[in-house]
Amino acid sequence: MNSAKLDHAPPPAVAAPETRAAPRGRARRLWARGTAPYAFLSPTMILIFVLMIIPIAMVVSYSFKDNVIVQQNSVFVGFANYTKVLTDPDFLAALKNTFVFITVSTVAHLILGLGFALMLNTPLLGNVTKAIFRIIYILPWLFTVAVIAVIWRLMLDPSGVVNYLLTTLGGSSVDWLSDPGKALWALTFINIWAGFPFFMISILAGLQGIPGDLYEAASVDGASPIRQFWNVTIPQLRPVLISMAVLDLIWTSQQFALIWMTTGGGPLNVTEMLSTYTYKQAFSSYEFATASAAAVIVLLLTMVLAVFYVRLQKER
Amino acid sequence: MTRRRHLLGVIAVAALVGTTGVACGGSDDGASADGSVTLEFAQWWAPELPAGSFDKLMTEFTAQNPNIKVKLLSGPYASTKQQLVSGAASKTLPDVVGLDGAWVNDFAKQGAIADLSALMKDANYDESQLASQIQIQGKTYMIPIVNFVYPMFVNNDLLAKAGVTKPPSTRTEFLDAAKKITATGGNVKGWALPLDTAVPNGIQNDVMSWLWASGGTMLTKDGKPDLTNAQVKSTIEYVKSLNDASVIAPGSLTMKEQDKVEKFTTGQVGMVIDSLAHINLIKKNNPSLNFTVLPIPAEDGYTGKRGIPYASWGIGVADSSKHKAEAFKLVEFLMSKEKNAELSTLANGFPGNKTAVPDFSNSDPLFKTAFDIYQAGYPANEFVGLPKAEDLMRSFDEQLQLTLTGKQSVDDTLSKAQEDWASVL
Amino acid sequence: MPTSKKVLTRKRRRLGAKIAVFTGLCLGAAFAGLPVVWMLSTSFKPNGEVFAVPPKLISHFSFDAYTAILSDGAQLRFFLNSYIVALSVTALTLFVAILAAYGFSRYEFPLKKSINAVIISVQAVPPITLVIPYFGLVVTLGLYNTYPGLILTHMVFTLPYAIIMMTAYFNTLPKELDESVKVDGASSWTALWRVLVPVSVPGMVAVGVYTFMISWNEYLFALTLTRTDDMRTVPIGIQLLMGQHSYEWNQMMAMSILGSIPVLILFLLFQRRFIGGLTSGAVKA
Repeated sequence: MNSAKLDHAPPPAVAAPETRAAPRGRARRLWARGTAPYAFLSPTMILIFVLMIIPIAMVVSYSFKDNVIVQQNSVFVGFANYTKVLTDPDFLAALKNTFVFITVSTVAHLILGLGFALMLNTPLLGNVTKAIFRIIYILPWLFTVAVIAVIWRLMLDPSGVVNYLLTTLGGSSVDWLSDPGKALWALTFINIWAGFPFFMISILAGLQGIPGDLYEAASVDGASPIRQFWNVTIPQLRPVLISMAVLDLIWTSQQFALIWMTTGGGPLNVTEMLSTYTYKQAFSSYEFATASAAAVIVLLLTMVLAVFYVRLQKER
Repeated sequence: MTRRRHLLGVIAVAALVGTTGVACGGSDDGASADGSVTLEFAQWWAPELPAGSFDKLMTEFTAQNPNIKVKLLSGPYASTKQQLVSGAASKTLPDVVGLDGAWVNDFAKQGAIADLSALMKDANYDESQLASQIQIQGKTYMIPIVNFVYPMFVNNDLLAKAGVTKPPSTRTEFLDAAKKITATGGNVKGWALPLDTAVPNGIQNDVMSWLWASGGTMLTKDGKPDLTNAQVKSTIEYVKSLNDASVIAPGSLTMKEQDKVEKFTTGQVGMVIDSLAHINLIKKNNPSLNFTVLPIPAEDGYTGKRGIPYASWGIGVADSSKHKAEAFKLVEFLMSKEKNAELSTLANGFPGNKTAVPDFSNSDPLFKTAFDIYQAGYPANEFVGLPKAEDLMRSFDEQLQLTLTGKQSVDDTLSKAQEDWASVL
Repeated sequence: MPTSKKVLTRKRRRLGAKIAVFTGLCLGAAFAGLPVVWMLSTSFKPNGEVFAVPPKLISHFSFDAYTAILSDGAQLRFFLNSYIVALSVTALTLFVAILAAYGFSRYEFPLKKSINAVIISVQAVPPITLVIPYFGLVVTLGLYNTYPGLILTHMVFTLPYAIIMMTAYFNTLPKELDESVKVDGASSWTALWRVLVPVSVPGMVAVGVYTFMISWNEYLFALTLTRTDDMRTVPIGIQLLMGQHSYEWNQMMAMSILGSIPVLILFLLFQRRFIGGLTSGAVKA
């Protein structure tokens, strides 16, 4: 084989004009150039195929069967599980709650993240002061969700510290997590607290990437700080804001442990989300088929967001 | 040809990443070269016992059976359950598993746990010493090792402060005591009712217990739901009357069992139905709490035997285990007269072996009181062995929550719950 | 004089703005920080006083919870496991993501868009929906209750965003940079590791910190894919302190404080580079 010989040959110059290369060498280079990106992507592709595509395929196949897992001989039932899930009022309620939960969380993350990032980016304060605040602001990001659930349960307990402060200040105590009218909002608040730091840091990074001369030009034109914000900051941040918002919608829709460990979907199902619904179907009702059907529906819904995100990326 | 070599390198790395551990993992059937066998034993008991005491028992077992080693897989109750469900789904349950009565039916139906009747027969085991066996269609799948009863815990100081001199024995007396305790003010309430739906055990321990204490039942003789009978109705109406009287600690709709214990321990709640296993815990966290245990109050005028709710540490053997005979040896060991008594004493529970006598000498006097209550009544837990037991509790819980928030009448709640249950049972 | 007056009002306005921003920052800090203060305070209380009425910030100050955690071999093992897993995940994610990002950033190939779309949509897969089949798969591969099992699983969840960020970062670097080395006869492999990677450190720090955080705090799979204490990580260790019947409040809080310290240090050390890395490209992902 001539490959042994070739090993001793000087490495071919990739960027050399192609006309000068021998036809065979050129073919080889083209082959190398053609396969190289796949080689670079292969570790990622193998990992994602084995640990993601296969399990997804398994979930999809479960969703078309009856009594899957719990009985040895499960049968193909077509879309029966999907009909069952889509006509289940609990599922529809979960869909609605999830929608409220993720949109409110994301909007709040956006507003808080932007507000905090703008303040942390101010030229008015010294670097040390800002660094200290930056560290305080990322604190919620440092804790695992189990602890976030526990600390908030502790504080929002009917006789916890929040109600103590409230009653001392003359208010009346509130059952934050067990009042059906308030639980979803309390839970959303906890999620806002837990999730804003990454948003904030990304926006802060975005702010620091806005060229200073844009602001200079704007202030030469006599634009007020508020005008500068709307005419320079927001348009410049737009890509960051949109892609963070889409990612946040996706990530928040996946939130499970926080809900499970604070309200478990209660009271009166007002905090039941798609994730807790699926979990209950599988681990409590042992209805793996309907759980899988619900999972596939959730997957399709989040895919819509993902497709939107891919579109955004392509636009740029 | 450096570039190609590097490309190959990339592919090799990729393959490596993809297969790491496929080679190094491998399946292990627990048998080693010297003929000794290692049993895996998943349970949530070790963390609840005095540190190291369960390991010590396992060491004793290996001393008696030198060629059987035991590897304990311990976790909290909820995650043990999740792991067993996943394990059952993929036929990889550990050889020996700790079971709750509420899980047995589903695991048995999946074929995940083995028929213990057959194992007992093979081992010539004397079944008569077992206090109870959990059977599905005539075959035993779980043997309760230790039973925990749930009496009424009362805070003596709070009762005295409220001016209640006679411990409540009927529902009316209990409501009255609860009102008086609540009237002492502050954040103190008479009773706690954990109804969190993530782990809906409150329906079993804190709601249906009232029914069983008055000799009632929620099932017909042939195991069909019977939630619309007069006794269930009076129980739910009673719980509602406690709720309407505002004697229940706030936050009950998402309260968890841990919160209930916490509130009793800190004196925020005067009375709770709770596991005897918690005596040590409560004393550890609040040594000055002056409390006692009582039978759960019954309907006024009820004179029959009182059912007392219980939970068990049950044991089962995985159907996929390659060492079922050895696994049953471990079951026998834990059920033996002496060891069963020892474990019960450690756990503050009552033995699953009839002949075993727990050692009261070093344990709390309340334990003796509870044992007397237990012997005067009968153990009652109709959820044990039911299919999808947790789901049944949850659907009942959701309906009950509607009643307690005034969105639904008691009758509607019961007929809807009856409907839900009928589709499962 | 009009000009000095103007300077004065501007100065005054500046001071006003300064005070406003500072107050805003303090309010935000209260929002972000007070729960953490309460966590700290709980970790120093005896367990029985966690629910004391009225609540106190400091009652009987004690280090008992910390001593209990730090003197318990099993608890320390959770920390060791978390380090092993999170550091391996970070290193491997960086390595694999750099390769993939290089492929995406420097080559045009027929399936590019579809592969990119697949990688991005993988992020949209709700982990909870995969638990049951995933568990079976991991058992079949012999990875159940092993470090590689946990590491590879975490990588599946960290890789997509890491690749997106790394690709965006590479896209900000001019192509001439690596092409010029290739003209001198170097392979793309050399160009990547000798030229691109050294100038991409800020981007790698951003990806690394992000990855480390995800892996360090991951809960669902760390719980499902391990079954012995010698494989479990800190979040599971914290959960083990919630028994069936009671919470070890103070120890739980102490453990989460201890668990957050390495991440805090990581952020302290790298915050400038982390934000810088996000700025120069990554956030444009």
